[in-house]
Amino acid sequence: MNPGILLWIILLLPVVGSGICQILRSSKNVMNFICFGVAVIGILEVVTAGLVFSRNTISSCGEWFYMDTLSAYHLIVMALVFCMSSLYGMRYFDKEIHEGIFTLKLAKRYGTLWFASLAAMTLILVSNNLGMMWVGMETTTLVTAFLICTRATKASIEGMWKYLIVCSVGIAFAFMGTLFIAAATYKFQGSISGNGVLWTQLKIHAGLLDPKLAQIGFLFIFVGYGTKVGLSPMHTWLPDAHSQAPSPVSAVFSGFMLNAALYCIMRYTSLIKLVPGNENLSRDLFLIFGTLSIVVAAAFILSQHDLKRLLAYHSVEHLGIIAIGMGMGPLGIFAALFHTLNHSICKSLGFFCAGRLGQIYGNYDMRGMTGALRLSPLWGGGLLGSLFALIGIAPFALFMSELLIVKAAIATNLIWVLVVFLVGSCIIFAAALKHVISVVYGTPPVLDFKPHRSSITDTSIVVFSLGVLLVLGLWMPNSLHEILCRAANIIEGIDVATTVCVK
Amino acid sequence: MIFMTNLADTVIILIILTNLMLLGSSRLRTCILIVAIQGIVLGILAILIEGGSLTIHLILLSTAIICLKGIIFPFLLIRTLRDLNVQQEVEPFVGYGTSLVLSPLVLAVCIWLGSQLSLPVGAASSLVVPVAFFTITCGLFLIISRKKALTQVLGYLVLENGIYVFGASIATIQPVLVELGILLDAFMAVFVMGIAIYHINREFEHTDVDRLNQLKG
Repeated sequence: MNPGILLWIILLLPVVGSGICQILRSSKNVMNFICFGVAVIGILEVVTAGLVFSRNTISSCGEWFYMDTLSAYHLIVMALVFCMSSLYGMRYFDKEIHEGIFTLKLAKRYGTLWFASLAAMTLILVSNNLGMMWVGMETTTLVTAFLICTRATKASIEGMWKYLIVCSVGIAFAFMGTLFIAAATYKFQGSISGNGVLWTQLKIHAGLLDPKLAQIGFLFIFVGYGTKVGLSPMHTWLPDAHSQAPSPVSAVFSGFMLNAALYCIMRYTSLIKLVPGNENLSRDLFLIFGTLSIVVAAAFILSQHDLKRLLAYHSVEHLGIIAIGMGMGPLGIFAALFHTLNHSICKSLGFFCAGRLGQIYGNYDMRGMTGALRLSPLWGGGLLGSLFALIGIAPFALFMSELLIVKAAIATNLIWVLVVFLVGSCIIFAAALKHVISVVYGTPPVLDFKPHRSSITDTSIVVFSLGVLLVLGLWMPNSLHEILCRAANIIEGIDVATTVCVK
Repeated sequence: MIFMTNLADTVIILIILTNLMLLGSSRLRTCILIVAIQGIVLGILAILIEGGSLTIHLILLSTAIICLKGIIFPFLLIRTLRDLNVQQEVEPFVGYGTSLVLSPLVLAVCIWLGSQLSLPVGAASSLVVPVAFFTITCGLFLIISRKKALTQVLGYLVLENGIYVFGASIATIQPVLVELGILLDAFMAVFVMGIAIYHINREFEHTDVDRLNQLKG
């Protein structure tokens, strides 16, 4: 069988799933179907990624669809986040279905949008054409906007409106950037076959791109997609959207949507590094926006009272950390990619726990949430674990990737970045610790109902996430190391999958 | 060809004028009509920009733009306006007079910027790129400085128009890319936001964006 077919399958199956959601007959069925469908697609995605790892690249449809190690790695992160969130979503909406708030109409819409956002994000990863990649990002924005206000309340509409306005301008900027890059190809446009801006073609001819146009284009791309990444100062939509969306959606937002946008920037980074005169452009931008994100996140985490907003600002911080890693040479990029995986797992878990605790307490105000560990050992413990991992306590995997970034900073002699990173992390460490301890310990308030007992699926999600974070912190499998090296080489612009890599 | 260039220049100047009018008007209905005119002008520009070779492809594109940006979206917006029962932008963050006084300065900066870029334009008019920048800036300015959700949507449409003008200038290099973006973009802006406005109105009984201030910190 031609492996290119697989790319079509993982792209089209979610679309089919999204249609099937419309003909289901009960909310419960929709949630179960989401779980089943995403699991099947997830398995196929892992198979696809496996094939890419063994063959280096897969392409289809005259190279319009193309996957290499970098996109396959992201595909695996996406499959993981979507599977976990779907499984979690099955139980999350139980209470609301029971109370009749989450009606069949809402459930159908939710399911359709859920699969559609999966399809859109897959499109980002499989397209080789930079225009198609932009279409994927744009569709993602459109679709997820409606997921934020799954239940239309004042606050969720406000969150959705801000998300739409800020991100649509960001997406428009990204399109402008794409046009600039397309314009920069005028010197060799006649000599390449096929229509459209294929990344593989651009990469071969990157040296011939018009330096000035490419530079402006990359600036637009960085600010545009950077808005979706949530880099400061374009992060303003992020806390609102994350805090107002239902928890499974917040998990997907933080766990993969931000990464998908960053992935787009990574693609352009590998191009712009090869354009004469622009070798350091991406590095400078990543460092500036990255450090700024860490500083802003630290300031807001210090005075935060809302649990989900706290987690949202953690996303700003961690994407900032990933960004500074991206600006620190091969070792930094390696660490940044590793951090992407760790952060996705950890932040999804954080939102899962916050969501269920919020259902128990009735809101997300941390001043009123005390004694979570006694009220719900599973979710309280999960929150404690995920926040410990998030603030970088050893031996969780996030500690290891952050340590690698520190090493990279020293190796590349970027002391000012290192200082900002460490000071910011320390502030966040102290502030988040204070918040989480007051939530997890203490005497719980008297509730007029008994919280649901945790089911096996819930337990397995928490145990699995924490287990993976722990294992990756203590031991990195050789295959993962190899994959990260190859992905980092693609961003660095080193062509062959050589073993030029770090230990 | 000289005739075509002159015509293109005229059209471009029309775009500048619509931008200026938009910055100076407070009645929402007038604003929508101005944006509609801009959409139609844009459709005409699509034909002129390639230097006069009239192909079926170009005519189709131009018709699509005129229909979408000049007729359908303005119609939808006016209908929304009627449902919302708001007539006027009240006290924008930056006044109309100030906006108008600032705009020539911005235009000058845009012309300077355009001259700095070595764009491989098919050169229907040397003003294409500066005007594209100017329109984009106007759109952004409208989004930032006005309070009504509807004016923000209009600002976004203007921003898109600006990007389209820029896209049209490089359409000879990447025609598919340009078309791809524009149609989807326009669909997104108005359709989605129109519904959102409706939601905002139903829940809040107003469409003032500056009163969307529940979420902070």
